[in-house]
Amino acid sequence: MKRLLVTLASVVLGIAVVVGIGLVASVSGAEPDAIVAKQVGTKSTPKGELPHYEVHLDVYPNSSAAVPPPSAGTPINAELLSGQPFYKPSTSIQVPANSVVTIHFTQYDSGGQIYNPYFAKVHGSMDGTMTWNGKQVSEIKSSEVGHTFTVHQFPESTQPYLFLSVPLPMNPANAKTDSNGYPVDPQKISVTFITGEAGTYVWNCEFPCGDMYQEFGGPMQQRGWMAGTFEVVA
Amino acid sequence: MTTATSTLEASSSTVFGVEVPQPPQHGKPGGIMRHLNFGTGLLTGIVFAVAAGWITSALSSSSATNDTFAPTEPEYIYLAGLIGWVIGFMLGMGAFVGPLRWVTGRDLTHADAEYMAGKDLGIRRYFKFTTDHKVVGIQYLVVVLGILGLGGLLAMLIRTELGATWTEVFSPTFYNTIIGTHGIAMVIGMIVVMSGPVGNFIVPMMIGARDMAFPRLNALSLWLLVAAVVCLISSMFVGGIQDGWSVYYPLAAQAPPGMLGYQLTIIVFAVSTGIASVNLMTTILTMRAKGMTWSRTPILVFGVFAASLMGLYAFPFYQYSQILALTDRIWDTVFFNPVQGGSVWLYENLFWLLGHPEVYVILIPSMAVALEIMPVFLRRPLFSFNFAVAGIVGVVALSGLVWAHHMYMTGWAPAVNYPFMLSTEMISIPVGFLVLVAIGTFWRATVWTRLPLMAIYAVVFNKMIGGVTGVYLSDVPADQYFHGSMFVVAHFHYMLMGAGLFGAMGGIAFYFPKMTGRILDERIGSIGLWTAFAGFQITFGSMFVAGLQGQPRRVLQFDDMFNISNWISTIGAYVIGIGMLIFLAAIIYSWRSGEVASSNPWGSKSLEWQTPTPVPLENFAVLPVVTERPYNYGVPDPYEAELEAEDGDRTSDDRERAGVS
Repeated sequence: MKRLLVTLASVVLGIAVVVGIGLVASVSGAEPDAIVAKQVGTKSTPKGELPHYEVHLDVYPNSSAAVPPPSAGTPINAELLSGQPFYKPSTSIQVPANSVVTIHFTQYDSGGQIYNPYFAKVHGSMDGTMTWNGKQVSEIKSSEVGHTFTVHQFPESTQPYLFLSVPLPMNPANAKTDSNGYPVDPQKISVTFITGEAGTYVWNCEFPCGDMYQEFGGPMQQRGWMAGTFEVVA
Repeated sequence: MTTATSTLEASSSTVFGVEVPQPPQHGKPGGIMRHLNFGTGLLTGIVFAVAAGWITSALSSSSATNDTFAPTEPEYIYLAGLIGWVIGFMLGMGAFVGPLRWVTGRDLTHADAEYMAGKDLGIRRYFKFTTDHKVVGIQYLVVVLGILGLGGLLAMLIRTELGATWTEVFSPTFYNTIIGTHGIAMVIGMIVVMSGPVGNFIVPMMIGARDMAFPRLNALSLWLLVAAVVCLISSMFVGGIQDGWSVYYPLAAQAPPGMLGYQLTIIVFAVSTGIASVNLMTTILTMRAKGMTWSRTPILVFGVFAASLMGLYAFPFYQYSQILALTDRIWDTVFFNPVQGGSVWLYENLFWLLGHPEVYVILIPSMAVALEIMPVFLRRPLFSFNFAVAGIVGVVALSGLVWAHHMYMTGWAPAVNYPFMLSTEMISIPVGFLVLVAIGTFWRATVWTRLPLMAIYAVVFNKMIGGVTGVYLSDVPADQYFHGSMFVVAHFHYMLMGAGLFGAMGGIAFYFPKMTGRILDERIGSIGLWTAFAGFQITFGSMFVAGLQGQPRRVLQFDDMFNISNWISTIGAYVIGIGMLIFLAAIIYSWRSGEVASSNPWGSKSLEWQTPTPVPLENFAVLPVVTERPYNYGVPDPYEAELEAEDGDRTSDDRERAGVS
């Protein structure tokens, strides 16, 4: 009887430890709720009249308590990520399939020379351009990039092709700022593209601006900061 | 056994009948060691870590943050904290007391040494810097079970994530962290699992010695391992190890500060391993009992010696790679960073110069334990002792010539791919010797199936699968297809876990009576063993299928076509987990309430079983003299019997050396 009890206790306790640690890790690493695109009407496209949806994203430097940074999991990680830029309100984005989607970016961060000028150009939008402070452009100067929003094809053979990359221009160093240190007139960028069938993708900023080697550490590798998921739902 | 004659002036002690001059005894035996233990080690370690971090924080400049290659301030603080932890912990454990006493002219006396060996300390000796090899062996066993428990827990989380296809249970960064930490924790655990507990507890008794050659170094190696493991665990809280256990460049350079935890873990662990290797080798070379010629030395001793030798030449490469990586990260040197002119291939070569010999550091002691156990339960000598020794020697000789098969597809020196393919396939010959000796020993044997032998059945089966699949990976054209896939993961789990861990289970079951004075419960133990074995086949058999289908390793999400294989693997992993927990329950239950064992419950002929249980501090009241081979069980081979009859205790080896036909 004692043997059986010890065995059962070991198995139950072991499973409880695994499940407990798994739950804590899962919950503490969970991302904020996904941003779901909202329908604003319809839009005529080469594929015909399609429903039109919009998403709003902001990009902030982590320089003021006025806009608190996303969760970093642990206090130590939060310390390590302090001062690093991030997207708001979430990096999980959900858009409908077979629709026109416009993403509006408000960019509050500074920037500089991007390593790879390919990402200073617009790729994958409906007409190969984006709107930057009211002007249509297909690229920006590679020395004036703040961030990029780049959606990648996922390694999934059954998914439809999707690639979108938008450069987000930097705010100049002498830009007028408010009391929190954010530019009074931030960069406004909009990009419109057409989604295909349903699929799950990832996106990230392709202008490394994080820690360590080639600045690809820290927020660049962290969902909720400079990387996230992009889901096209049926 | 010993008699101290004075405690005030330089005096002498009678040690095993020999008068030994002693330095003056200051105070009670043990001195400050009487007050030091694991608790003071923890406390001092934490205090030193906090103090080092605080001083670094005060001295470092915040302007250093966020430059392209510069680490951030928290990195300096974390590194300083880790170094402070290691130094403080070892100081608080009393690791430096001996050298400091010697430097200050107050060298340890025989009474001090006896105190440090744990004489009359009861259970407290397991929580101190104790030098008795048996205590160190038990301490190693507990520590290694903890390390393997951590690695196993992370394995369950990994399989949970991979089983829940298209549903992210954990964030990608956490998944990458548990992959890397699982890998290095299991490698450390598997390296230590045989050489630590068995090498320390059993080997000195097996060769007829009273202790290890350097008892204080023995304790030092154990507590350095503990200090290193804490560094590893700490890394999980500062970004983790997100680049697999190999931490290739440039990924390692982009990694969060957890990488520093990895680097310091390896640097400290390599010191621990080097010290343990030198100690074991010196003990085996110089302290074998009278009459224990090499042909009368048990095969396990050869296995432990071989593992120590391989570890001694291989670990410095690994340690060196991490020292250079640390300087790249902290002081902006350019050894490995490719953009600045460093070489990622240099890193990969240094890493795999340890990485592959390490496989044999794990495998050889495990196979040696299997060969040690088999004659006892088959009641006959090894099929060929000489072939087994030749196999071990062959593996050692070739182990350092195969590392680049891990780099076939990296583009480094394609011209050497085929020589390395040849050397890798050649090493299967000496490994094959060991397997053939194991299988041959069953020939015409009277099989006494007990728990340790059951584990050996599992080892032989797993070793066969791992060996056969390894041949494909060693082949350059085939490796182009298999490289980086789950097939590789399944293969090395069959080798390291299938052979190494099941061998360790056999070793623990076999030596449990000598270590604890009780028999490991056979019913619970065998249920645990076979449950884990069944789960193992389900998990990694299915993983072979996923690999053959092309699933890449280390990737969080994968194509739908791999779903079924991954679900099956995950179910199998849970079965392994339950099996291991049942085996752990057998250990816990038996240690506390198991059947009391006689001093030699298996009727073994080797020396460690000729000691009383519990084993006294000095092991043997009178040092033994060896007069025959260790495996002369039952009816001897007729040819050997004829030779013995003619030549007394001379063996066929002796006759061959003497040129007698």
